[in-house]
Amino acid sequence: MEIVTHFFPWITNGPLIAVQVMSGLSVGMFLFLVSVGMSLIFGVTRIVNLAHGSLYMVGAYLMVTLVDVLPDNALRFWIALLVAPIGVALLGGLIEVLLLRRIYRREPLMQLIVTFGLILIIGTLVLIVWGPDNKSVSRPDALAGSVRIFGQPFPSYYLLVLALAPTMMVALWFIFYRTRWGMLIRAATVDREMLGALGVDVSTLYTQVFAFGSWLAGLAGALAAPTIAVALGMDGDVLINAFVVVVIGGLGSFAGSLISSLLVGELQSFGILIFPAISIVLLFALMAVVLIVRPWGLLGRPEDGH
Amino acid sequence: MPNTRRSALAAIVLLSVTLILLPALDRVAAQGKPIRIGEINSYSGVATVYTFPYKDGLEMALKEINDKGGVLGRPLEFIFRDDKLKPDEAVKAARELVLQEKVDYLAGCISSSVGLAISAYAKDAKVLYFATHCQTSRLTWDDGHKYIAHTTNNVNQYIRAIAKKAAVSPYKKWAHISPDYEYGQNVWEEFSSYLKQLKPDVQVVQQNWPKLGETDHSSYITALLQSGADAFFSSVWGAQEIAFVKQARPFGLLDKIKFYSASVGNPDELDPLGKEAPIGTVTTGFAWYDDGVQKLHPKLKDWVKKYAEWSKGKEPKLGASWGYASAYIIAEAIKRAHGTDTDKVIGALSEGFDMDFPWGKVIMRGCDQQAIPPQWTGVVKMNPQGRPVMGDVEETHGKDIVRSCDEVMQLRAAAALKKK
Repeated sequence: MEIVTHFFPWITNGPLIAVQVMSGLSVGMFLFLVSVGMSLIFGVTRIVNLAHGSLYMVGAYLMVTLVDVLPDNALRFWIALLVAPIGVALLGGLIEVLLLRRIYRREPLMQLIVTFGLILIIGTLVLIVWGPDNKSVSRPDALAGSVRIFGQPFPSYYLLVLALAPTMMVALWFIFYRTRWGMLIRAATVDREMLGALGVDVSTLYTQVFAFGSWLAGLAGALAAPTIAVALGMDGDVLINAFVVVVIGGLGSFAGSLISSLLVGELQSFGILIFPAISIVLLFALMAVVLIVRPWGLLGRPEDGH
Repeated sequence: MPNTRRSALAAIVLLSVTLILLPALDRVAAQGKPIRIGEINSYSGVATVYTFPYKDGLEMALKEINDKGGVLGRPLEFIFRDDKLKPDEAVKAARELVLQEKVDYLAGCISSSVGLAISAYAKDAKVLYFATHCQTSRLTWDDGHKYIAHTTNNVNQYIRAIAKKAAVSPYKKWAHISPDYEYGQNVWEEFSSYLKQLKPDVQVVQQNWPKLGETDHSSYITALLQSGADAFFSSVWGAQEIAFVKQARPFGLLDKIKFYSASVGNPDELDPLGKEAPIGTVTTGFAWYDDGVQKLHPKLKDWVKKYAEWSKGKEPKLGASWGYASAYIIAEAIKRAHGTDTDKVIGALSEGFDMDFPWGKVIMRGCDQQAIPPQWTGVVKMNPQGRPVMGDVEETHGKDIVRSCDEVMQLRAAAALKKK
């Protein structure tokens, strides 16, 4: 025990462990919000949407503009948080109709090239529209401070994230398992040809799914905006994290995304305490292990042999 | 009647052709063939926050130089290329500029790895390369050679300036947060080694190495909170540092542990932070707005005004001063060489020279062809207009802290030994 406390002096520090668990949770919840939309889009359309991070970035930039434009009152943050993701959903719908619709039957490489091209196009458009300077959004006054958890200060804004992510999980579950639209989407993930043959307008369904996935990306971006700098390059940073989470959890699986987000969040949180010098390797080590043991991810489905 | 119309038409065509050609003809007649410099930098994506002001400054200097008759009676001309922040793209552009555009020299870089890649190409191709914007000390030191000159300060100089301030502080137990790549490692090495040299009883109690571009630092912040450190140093920069500061504040980190930052004092970080700026943080930056600095450099105010006119109302950023200085340093080297011949210009550079800029003296040191400008350190404050700025500014000239020529030669020898 003495050896343990020598190397890990924090192990007897209950409050520290509690705050570390909490911060890991909030990291994980953010990751979940970002990655679940990517997972959804893949599950239905079988497209790995590399531009997901770009949609997240647009959500954050829209948030900046809306907070700037709206009159300065207690509600403007919330109105912006509501409107920005809708803007991203519209953009996503447009992208699906104009571009992605044409490549569903192409080989995966072609699809990757198109969504990669979108990263460059959206990145350049954002530079033209919003300029090169770093931007920022303030937290709403009510959530600007901190609350005490086991005597340690913890940012109250993260409580919003901690509350919103599980709410979103429940809402998603409800939508997918208790509504007709959700049933159609689940059907589309299993066999889109059959669904079409049964008279369902699959094409419109895909547009809706892509817009919904984009909305989730936009929501994550808008929600993250007050905790980060809204800047060019945030698309790539978040894309890597989201991609790792989705791969670990299993492409197309929501529960997988949730579990893997929490796993990654806590791994990072405690990795920093245990192996500070190599904490960033742990994430990719976990992904490697998962890919070796279960190439289709924790809760994903193996590709059926074609 | 048709005749008049035709001649009127001919007159208009002739007139417009003359109008179009006139300025060009005039320039060629007055100043001869331009001296061409291939400039490679990141003009798209994440680095534009730095490279756009840099280019503004560079083009402002270029106009001044050419309006005064250019260099050796010839105008300077920059041919810009986008490196997309990638070393291989940069080398491709360098090759194209040298082989097809037949440029006389190369210049540019914001990313250190791009700078090192262009430098390696320049050495092989025997083309003189002016590294104008990236900062790793390896450019002219460990990996230095005669075909590279570095026209802006390197990591060693401004990090030593802030380490010197840290050394006179009462803080003994230190932690740090640095992005885990070439620049972050280089900065932490320079900071911690100089701090220990000046104040041997300091201790490093905890280290944080987030990846470059990490967006969520909560776990690092809580780890720092428990580290028992009196002070911590950050070499996280730009958007990532803004995120770090915004996340650290509600955890109470900035009230609990004294914050030293390599770059938070620059307006590209302070302005977006606004009221969330880390008041009291010791940092570095280009404090052109500071009364003390303006008193020390009477020409600065005028330059800032000229820059605002040139850039349509913008305030100068650090990069703008570097772009401006780089163009003048390149021009001066050619002037001193009395010709554009690469070996002659290298000769002029290796002799070294001093230049006066609106912000003070910049020494181009001969032994390593490295620029040594003044450095500013200070403390983050709110100005009366409620805008965060760097206050209590102190100036240290790079020449008083930078590694000596002897030390540089030792670094080069050690690097050469390692390569064998």
